Amino acid sequence: MCAWGIAISLSAHAQTTDSLKSVNLSEVVVSETYHHIRNKNATLQLEVVGEDFLRNNFSGNLVQTLGNIPGVHSMDIGSGFAKPMIRGLGFNRITVTENGVKQEGQQWGADHGLEIDAFNAGQVSVRKGPSSLLYGSDAMGGAIEINALPAPTQNMFLGEVALIGKSVNGTLGGSLMLGLKHNAWFTKLRYTEMHFADYRIPTDTVVYLTRKIPVYNRRMKNTAGFERDVSWFTTYRKNGYDASFSISNAYQKTGFFPGAHGIPDLSKLTDDGNSRNIELPYSFVNHLKVALHQGYAWGPMALSWDLGYQNNHREEWSSFHTHYSTQQIPQKDPDKELAFRLNTYSSNAKLRFLGNGKWEHTLGWDVQYQDNNIAGYSFLLPEYTRVTTGGLWLSNYKVNSQLTLSGGVRYDYGKIKVAGYTDAYLEEYLVDQGYDASVIEVYKNRSYAVNRDFGDYSASVGFVWNPSRVHMLKANVGRSFRLPGANELASNGVHHGTFRHEQGVATLKSEQGWQADAAYTYEKGRLSFTASPFFSWFDNYIFLRPTGEWSVLPDAGQIYRYTGAEAIFTGAELSMSYRVLPKLTYQFAGDYVYTYNCDEHLPLSFSPPASMRNTLTWEAASWSVYAQMESIAAQNRVDRNEDKTSGSNLFHLGGKFDFKWHNTPIEITLTARNVLDRKYFNHLSFYRKVEIPEPGRNLQVLIKIPFKQVFK
Amino acid sequence: MKTKLILSAICIVSLSSLFVACSDDDNDTTKPVIVINEPEDGGAIKTGSLLHLDMDLSDDVMVASYKVDIHNNFDGHTHTSASTRADGDSITFTYNQSFDVNQKNHHVHDHIEIPILARQGKYHVVVYCTDTSGNESYVAKSVVFDANAEEDVD
Repeated sequence: MCAWGIAISLSAHAQTTDSLKSVNLSEVVVSETYHHIRNKNATLQLEVVGEDFLRNNFSGNLVQTLGNIPGVHSMDIGSGFAKPMIRGLGFNRITVTENGVKQEGQQWGADHGLEIDAFNAGQVSVRKGPSSLLYGSDAMGGAIEINALPAPTQNMFLGEVALIGKSVNGTLGGSLMLGLKHNAWFTKLRYTEMHFADYRIPTDTVVYLTRKIPVYNRRMKNTAGFERDVSWFTTYRKNGYDASFSISNAYQKTGFFPGAHGIPDLSKLTDDGNSRNIELPYSFVNHLKVALHQGYAWGPMALSWDLGYQNNHREEWSSFHTHYSTQQIPQKDPDKELAFRLNTYSSNAKLRFLGNGKWEHTLGWDVQYQDNNIAGYSFLLPEYTRVTTGGLWLSNYKVNSQLTLSGGVRYDYGKIKVAGYTDAYLEEYLVDQGYDASVIEVYKNRSYAVNRDFGDYSASVGFVWNPSRVHMLKANVGRSFRLPGANELASNGVHHGTFRHEQGVATLKSEQGWQADAAYTYEKGRLSFTASPFFSWFDNYIFLRPTGEWSVLPDAGQIYRYTGAEAIFTGAELSMSYRVLPKLTYQFAGDYVYTYNCDEHLPLSFSPPASMRNTLTWEAASWSVYAQMESIAAQNRVDRNEDKTSGSNLFHLGGKFDFKWHNTPIEITLTARNVLDRKYFNHLSFYRKVEIPEPGRNLQVLIKIPFKQVFK
Repeated sequence: MKTKLILSAICIVSLSSLFVACSDDDNDTTKPVIVINEPEDGGAIKTGSLLHLDMDLSDDVMVASYKVDIHNNFDGHTHTSASTRADGDSITFTYNQSFDVNQKNHHVHDHIEIPILARQGKYHVVVYCTDTSGNESYVAKSVVFDANAEEDVD
């Protein structure tokens, strides 16, 4: 019944719609020509944000900044870290690339953020919708591409000092960049450090598990943290050849609110008099990334090759605890609960044939190898190795000056080998409890050895139709897929973050989905607007299904099992800008996502609530100010065992001021978020399930001092 | 003209995709309700006596099943094992039992024997309850096992 309805709408979509979307959301009106050219040339749906947007919405956290784009949401872990969600898809379904390399951390984990220096992001493009054609498995919900600003053209020494301060969590941070451009060479070094204290929430108590939990001094205890990032980027460009080398290391450490780890114990929540200390439990992550890009263009051909190595090292520390009486405190690092070391090696090669300018082809070949190692007194994710490789063909055909068609196909092959893990302490505990051998056999394996290989294709067809400067229409239909992760295939035990017994299924099929989407843009005179509806259908969407079977493990309720289901995601984004007066602009941005699990007849968990932003901006030559009303709708469409979240209206103010002091340009950006100090909840926040509201009123100052010395 | 036609087509298709999709969710996401009358939070239970578990379970559709999980909470929620099995003759006590209900409202009054040698200290009594759709709720009570506590006689 359900599939039938989809088939009808899909076939209709295939002819008329898509979502090639390319809107510059800068608060300041963008040069129309640039905007237009960008639109005409981007047939894949793309939302490009530049320096203006990144400056206006800067928060020290790139994902939270991008959460201001309609259709993009940030899933926050406290005040410092966040992971992205696009059109209701998050975790392993979104790919993030920096300088051409796909960022690989522990994306499957609910308490994992994105380890990228927000100060380093010069340009960000967001692809909404299936992008596995470009990036292979894991990009089925979209991709975020982060790139550095292009090298200056003149020979010069340049740099930038940036300072940031925030009141809500006492953030103090800074970033220093130094660069040198000399003929074919450009090199750039950046160092960033940010420290933040326990964040403030506008409430004195939270209620969790029918228990009133006091919040002393209106601060969330032990949510302080810090971030330290270093990066070095060098590029060389001569004639048709260009090469760039980048190495970056991002380190983040943050405490966890002790009330969110297990049954709340009031004795652990009393104020310790220090809002900047990071006590147990906490996590840290170190992400090292090395990338080498080379490109060579000759005649109508261009070849590019990206090589990458990444090491993601994440640890979670919590004072030693166990349910099993035979498990002893480890001699070394007794409080190291979990550790993951994920090594990723990648290679992407692309060959472009530009032809006669009418028809362009791209051939590509990607290989990636991953190796995950674990340690710690507890167990969450098994060790595994994963190899994926894929070949792709993309094509772009300019029918005439108004119409461009594009399409492509890709085939990927993946092999995952998950190591088994038997918990001897658990086994002994279950023997002590008198369980049958058959029951013990099922539970003692915290992970099963699984050896699977998958092959799947992605495809996309779309067009851009640009009949005049006023109208632009884009449409696309694409198919995406994702290989099941090690947790989905092999895990079996209580997840220490969700307190659920989660069970993988070794026979899961790969996740597959289709998306049809469209975007229409109108631009004339004072008015511009874009509407972009989308419709996605998954014939096998993997989710955690409550089984109703009790787990025999202590601290666990029923078993949740990874299950494939038919699912639908649909919705739209709408943005509008109207110049009321020469200096006054009104802007609207809104989004809506509807999710539906056709097998369970229920919404899917973590569905973002509808939201809209109404902004008034007054812009003068060297300064601008804005006032914004952000309205978040209630989310009443929830999955089982997920709480409904009420909506809220938030009021934000901001402004930027550029001036010169002794011939040095100074850029100041001021923002006041949640000015009225409203208590509200983010349905997608890690702390939502513990009934902890979002940060309260925040005043933020960002000062940037760029400098340069041009060589004669 | 052509543009307008295409535009209206998109509007209709996208709107219909919102509503045509599937029959709307009429499914149950309401969790069962657990009201524990006994033991009280922070209450003391004499080792060697019976722990009285008295509670009311209810659901808007049907309570499927419940599970009672009692385990120690010796160091906050950290169950440091260095001390276990080592102090004298005392034994590690845990309790983990599930029961089927299949009623809308269900009253539970149960006696759980706490061995006289059960290690004294802080424990958690956690009750999990599911309804027939898989909605789950749980409530935790902190109790203390104490050899010198008064025995519960009702």
